[in-house]
Amino acid sequence: MTAVLSASGITKNYAIGKREIPVLRGVDLSIEPGEKVALLGTSGAGKSTLLHLLGLLDKPTSGTISYDGQPVQSLPVAERARLRHQQIGFVFQFYHLIPELTALQNVLLARMMGSSVLQYWGQRKRAKQSAIAMLEHVGLGERLHHRPTELSGGERQRVAIARALLAEPKVVLADEPTGNLDSHTAKEVVDLMFSIQQERQLAFLLVTHDEGLALRCDRIVRMKDGRIVDQNNQDAENNA
Amino acid sequence: MYRLFLAIRYLLTRPINLLGMGGIAIGVWALVVVVSLFSGFLKVVEDHVQASSSDIVVSQLPPWSEWPVLRDEIMADPNVAGAAPRLLHYGLLIAPGKRPPPAPLPGRGALHGGDQPFLFVFGVDPALEAQTTQFGQWLRHLDIPDELRVADVNDPLAAHNGTPTVLIGLERMQREGLRVGDALKLTTANLKDDGEGKRTAVKIEVDLIVAGAYQTEHGGFDGNNVFVAKQTLQQELFPEAPHHVQEVAVRIHDKSQLSETADRLQRLVERATERNQRGYGQVQTWSEKNAPFLANVAHQRELMKIVLTVIMVVAAFLMLATLSMMVTEKTADIGILTAMGGTPFGVTTVFLSCGLVITAAGVVLGLVSGVITGIYLEEIRQAVLWAFGIDLFPLDVYNLTRVPCRIEPLWLVQVAGMAMVTGLIVSVLPALRAARHDPLISLRGV
Repeated sequence: MTAVLSASGITKNYAIGKREIPVLRGVDLSIEPGEKVALLGTSGAGKSTLLHLLGLLDKPTSGTISYDGQPVQSLPVAERARLRHQQIGFVFQFYHLIPELTALQNVLLARMMGSSVLQYWGQRKRAKQSAIAMLEHVGLGERLHHRPTELSGGERQRVAIARALLAEPKVVLADEPTGNLDSHTAKEVVDLMFSIQQERQLAFLLVTHDEGLALRCDRIVRMKDGRIVDQNNQDAENNA
Repeated sequence: MYRLFLAIRYLLTRPINLLGMGGIAIGVWALVVVVSLFSGFLKVVEDHVQASSSDIVVSQLPPWSEWPVLRDEIMADPNVAGAAPRLLHYGLLIAPGKRPPPAPLPGRGALHGGDQPFLFVFGVDPALEAQTTQFGQWLRHLDIPDELRVADVNDPLAAHNGTPTVLIGLERMQREGLRVGDALKLTTANLKDDGEGKRTAVKIEVDLIVAGAYQTEHGGFDGNNVFVAKQTLQQELFPEAPHHVQEVAVRIHDKSQLSETADRLQRLVERATERNQRGYGQVQTWSEKNAPFLANVAHQRELMKIVLTVIMVVAAFLMLATLSMMVTEKTADIGILTAMGGTPFGVTTVFLSCGLVITAAGVVLGLVSGVITGIYLEEIRQAVLWAFGIDLFPLDVYNLTRVPCRIEPLWLVQVAGMAMVTGLIVSVLPALRAARHDPLISLRGV
């Protein structure tokens, strides 16, 4: 099967004054459609940096990032933004909902991003129905018009998941999505994410410190000092 | 779509942005109201000046100018409807046995009139003058009480028992307690040539009887000018030149041909007064004649525009502060917008749209309130006078019946344009700062 997302020879250096600090030292990774990959590692291992590079929020110092086999790391800013909108959904530890908007508006924003005023106006009813359906799907049908400050942590993360999925991405990049939740809520959120991932056959890259959560993924990728030190396939291990 | 949507949501949920909008609205309101007031005032002043003038004035005529010659030349122009000869001198007009009028008060100029010790004395032919100006209407003005009206409007400067008569502005007559039939003495001087080329000033005193009052709408004119019969000045100043004329008032048929007619008359007058291959005399339209005075009022309006623009600048700084504060607070949003597919340009546009929406709302509010205030300025003046006893715009000073206001659409467009450009400039700075913000910083944690 062709990898939906692949990275090869990725390096990333940050300049601090005249010094170059290497954060990633040659990372190779590929994710297939419908695959759940957990990225484990200690703080400073380069997990979030790799996630940002794969999400086209930053450019690698060297190496190649491909979506559907097409190299994308050198695309112009606008093209990268379009690709982010169409192919990638982000879920963050701190939710990053816009406090001025209700849950419904936060989710709808994902649909507005790629449309002009006229385009959106023509499809506004359909967009709203999709957003409501998505929020109902994540169990927030009764909380459509609540602002983030009126929602619990788990509810906020559900809104963030709904927002990430509304644009129907192929890849979801989640950066410690349960890091700010209690264990019970975290389990609910993960169950929800994985069920949707299963339904839609999404490629899922999950950055986490939680070994238990990582074990529920198809593959665990361990990073240390900017390198991938171990990749094992859960199914293969389970079968063995 | 998200740019406009977010901009509006940010504005609606952050009342502090109303400060910038209010500032812009106040600036626009002030610029609309005050400038419309000045424009209205300028229009009224122009109307008043025009009503107290002939269409065209021929002046600076040389000593050899003869009225019959000039009359024939001027009346030959097809657009000339009438012409009237004038002699123009100046002097002190006092009642015998009374103190002369007080010296001008500090800060009071010719516009206010009535307190200049020296007056311009027009020597006119009333019948011809009535054909070129609104002279007849000035004598019939409704404000003139019956006891101060001239006895015969058709011959207002007829001698009274052999003594020449004088017409005086109504306000001056009332202030100095003058009545019809009062005796006055005009004291003036004239330069006489002694035959050897030396000119000396000779005192002239003329006994006059008050014929009555006249009233134009231009207070500055009434306060500074009196009328006597032309032959009265002729006998005292130019006894040897009975047809001499110093000024000619001209009325024309087609007012739209004012400048063209003045140009033609200039050539005619120069031909009629030519001596040693040089023509004399100056032909001016009513607006050219009063240009310094009208320009002074217009200049005050321009100064007021500059002063009021400062309010707009203050509002712009207020907006800059609130927008900058908003950008600082919204850095987390910049990160997520970028992650969702926003570009730096898109992020710039969100904050730029905020600034432009604030400005546009302020402009609309300011324009609407400014136009409404302008329309009801007189009612507002009366309300303030009734409620607080303060007269914001004393009408009698300017001979007005209501507060003048002239709302010029072009000025509204200019004010709106200026405000929008100001809003754009102060919105660009915080918007660019937002675009330069690294989204990864806000995404790494709050």
